[in-house]
Amino acid sequence: MTNIVEAKSLRKNYGSFTALDGVDLTIPRGSISGLIGPNGAGKTTTLKALIGLCDVDGELMVAGRDPRVARHKLMRDVCFIADVGILPKWLKVSNVIDYVEAVHPRFDRKKAEKFLSTTDIPAKKRIKELSKGMVTQLHLAIVMAIEVQLLVLDEPTLGLDIIYRKEFYDRLLNDYYDGNRTIIISTHQVEEIEALLSHLLFINKGKIVLDALMADLSDMYTEVLVDPDMLAQADALGPIHIRELLGKKSYTFESVAKDQLEPLGELHTPTVADLFVAKLKENRDG
Amino acid sequence: MDKFALLQFYALAKREVLEHRNLFVGAPAMVALLILVASIWVALQLEQAELAAALEYLAILFDGLSPFDMAPFFMLLAIPFFATLYVCSVIYLINTLYQDRKEMSVLFWQSMPVSNLQTVLSKVFTIVVVAPIFYVLIIFALYLIAMIWLTLLGISNDINLVGIGWMFLAALTSLLFIYISAFVTSLWLLPSMGWLLLFSAFAKKTPLLWAAGVFILVGFLEDFVFGTQYLANWVESRAANPNQYFIFDFQSVFEKLFNYDMLFGLLVGSILLAGAVYMRRFID
Amino acid sequence: MKNIILRNRYTLLLTTLTAYMAVLVAEGAITGREARIVDFENPFFDLSVNNFEQFRESRNDAGDDRRAERQGDRRIDEDDDG
Repeated sequence: MTNIVEAKSLRKNYGSFTALDGVDLTIPRGSISGLIGPNGAGKTTTLKALIGLCDVDGELMVAGRDPRVARHKLMRDVCFIADVGILPKWLKVSNVIDYVEAVHPRFDRKKAEKFLSTTDIPAKKRIKELSKGMVTQLHLAIVMAIEVQLLVLDEPTLGLDIIYRKEFYDRLLNDYYDGNRTIIISTHQVEEIEALLSHLLFINKGKIVLDALMADLSDMYTEVLVDPDMLAQADALGPIHIRELLGKKSYTFESVAKDQLEPLGELHTPTVADLFVAKLKENRDG
Repeated sequence: MDKFALLQFYALAKREVLEHRNLFVGAPAMVALLILVASIWVALQLEQAELAAALEYLAILFDGLSPFDMAPFFMLLAIPFFATLYVCSVIYLINTLYQDRKEMSVLFWQSMPVSNLQTVLSKVFTIVVVAPIFYVLIIFALYLIAMIWLTLLGISNDINLVGIGWMFLAALTSLLFIYISAFVTSLWLLPSMGWLLLFSAFAKKTPLLWAAGVFILVGFLEDFVFGTQYLANWVESRAANPNQYFIFDFQSVFEKLFNYDMLFGLLVGSILLAGAVYMRRFID
Repeated sequence: MKNIILRNRYTLLLTTLTAYMAVLVAEGAITGREARIVDFENPFFDLSVNNFEQFRESRNDAGDDRRAERQGDRRIDEDDDG
């Protein structure tokens, strides 16, 4: 099986609020996927569903298992870090390591300790005495010492300062990612993880609005800084988004051949952030 | 059960003790300290002659008697500890499946390969088996201090100390009965424990209010629909009078563990526990 | 069936409580019993202050007869007056 996650029309309601409105999702093995969406778009619900922490309707397979049936078996193959600071506050750092070592068959204590020795986290302190950044470092150290197929990160760097954020992703890419493991990261700060990703997912209002490999992005999407006298032609080609840029108009096109666009003006590939805005606006208007 | 599963279960129980060390160690230690301070204060109030007389009275009272026969005397002394254990257990059970959801650390616990069944069982195990061990150890420490103190008093007042030795033996024997009583009683209270755990896993806030409220509601419903008061009666015997299952001699252990009422209680307790296990799926 | 029960926490709570009530009421109806309420009694010791005063007085008089005194002062009431 080449996809580690396969989901079809996932639905979830919280009372009258629809959190997931038919999410279709495939995540290839070995990819680093970014699940990107504004607050309240359904990111956390989707990720919780993937690891069996919330019930959803629809078809769902993660690492060959239905997470709704046997969460504890799935968690041998999947690790999860939620928004910072979810480690229990009353535990000591050494307690956390003892606990994970005892309950997780794939935890390598030496690896975790080696990683921790590069940080300045004292083993005797309680979690509540650590800073947010340290708690995240500790959690990452634990997760990196577990041999799993899939790592799910839900806004892992929320509330951290820039130094910790950069270090977090550097570690993840250099020390953890080996090409076989799969990582899913959710965030609403696109710029931060753009360079990391191999697979891009946009989610808005409980729906996936974009599902593309980063490598395909430049073929699929083109941004054109349209010359003022070509505006009518540009409009005719059906742009998905138009914005003002330095007194000119910048058009974003989806799946329009490059030779058709070249006469309109200056071409380039939109950044993920621009594309994100474009797709969201399109979704809202449409 | 393989070795890894045992180690896993040990880690789960250890986690409970670490998290609730105030309830399992702090509270009984506080009670022991209060008792110690109170008895020292009383001793200081007495005149030297009265104190010596009291000591000798105790020494003679226990001298040469079987510790098994005299142990129940110390069961009575342990009543403050039983009461503390009871209150702490209620606090523990109503919070244990709720607190981690409230502070969101549940996301960490649930990200480990530990099933909901293991989690709930580890909590029941903690209350039934582990918590009484800590209580007994602390009572033991209290008795040890008392024994040393009485011995010193005895020597300074020139009293024959053999009886104090017998008293200490009886006190130690009572620890065994205290442990067995706590164990058997908590099995007897399993339905009440299941009830608390169910609402601890269910409530989005104020689990105690839910547990009490639904109990009253369901009780009225039963009275209204069936015209019976089984639930109310049930709770009266299962929660209000826990001491009825105290053990004072070994002969009664078997008959108190293996009788219809006890086994039926374990059955309906299990229904509520199963509810709590499934309820654990709803973490938000 | 399992899916229906697990869909919602309220349904699950209701299901559990219904099963609990059903077993409880059925058992009560079949065995026809009321709850047993046993009052707590302490059949073992009665250590009263009066006895202690008595003991102290006697202690002052008799030196050698302590063993005999002891038999008199120890109270082990085994009667169940509940």
